[in-house]
Amino acid sequence: MSTPLEHELKQLIIETLELEDTTPEDIDPDAPLFVEGLGLDSIDALELGLALQKTYGIQLEAESEETRRHFESLRSLAALVEARRAD
Amino acid sequence: MTSVPLTLQDWRVWWPGQTRPDEPRLTGEENPAGKAVPAMLRRRLNLPGRAVSDMLDALDPEASRVLVHASRHGDGERTLQMLEALTDGQPVSPARFGLSVHNAILGVHSIASGNRRSQQALAASGSELAALFSEARGYLATGERSIVVAFSDAPVPSRFRGADTPEVELAAVAMRLGSDTGQVITDEPLAPTAAPCRAPQPVDVIRWLLGEAPLSCPARRLSWRLAP
Repeated sequence: MSTPLEHELKQLIIETLELEDTTPEDIDPDAPLFVEGLGLDSIDALELGLALQKTYGIQLEAESEETRRHFESLRSLAALVEARRAD
Repeated sequence: MTSVPLTLQDWRVWWPGQTRPDEPRLTGEENPAGKAVPAMLRRRLNLPGRAVSDMLDALDPEASRVLVHASRHGDGERTLQMLEALTDGQPVSPARFGLSVHNAILGVHSIASGNRRSQQALAASGSELAALFSEARGYLATGERSIVVAFSDAPVPSRFRGADTPEVELAAVAMRLGSDTGQVITDEPLAPTAAPCRAPQPVDVIRWLLGEAPLSCPARRLSWRLAP
């Protein structure tokens, strides 16, 4: 079961990354977003970082270990947005 | 100087909205499937890219041949979107940037197909077909048995029309070229009395392949013939 924010982030990922054949239900909140699981790549990581900046005002360091942890799964991404979004 | 003979071994064309019931090498679908490329890569290809990738797969199923892709304008839409973002002080989309380069289609195709041969992208200001044939002769002269060339273009975005660009029709063509088997391609000087013609676009090459129109390059003053 996804929270409203998780559902919103799934939509953001699908639209931003142009995942043609993917629905929000296909994205497991606990599965890896990159390489395995959803199968995103390094260009997607940059694109997603840009989308988070534009949508929630969140700035991330591209090379940091912390960013790597935030991008592990949809659940961890939602936790980041919950904690840092500029409302 | 002797010139390497050029032969047409096989071809595929994508011409949206067109059908020829007796011509299976023509695909007229508005949205080419791009089945040769997995979905996670395919999402990054525009329509000509999807069509070209499928045609390259059909003409080089072993993914073992040198590939050359020409486009006069490339992906004008993505390029302009990026320029507009920069003008507005907005950050540029990394994916759009990565795919706006002229060799993007061959790059994605090579990842999907595993083809590690030479892959070349070119633009020639309206002489794309002449450039493709020249490149093909070069590769054939160095010992390649056959190579695959592709030529695609899409309409230039209307907001760029002020740059006095010609009307461009959406289409793509791919040909497997060799030196021995296949239909012989010859060129000859364009007659001084020849009717004025535009710089050849992919649709003009398609009409030529279908036997529906002659094919000339005004910039090079050349006309091509395809042996029956």
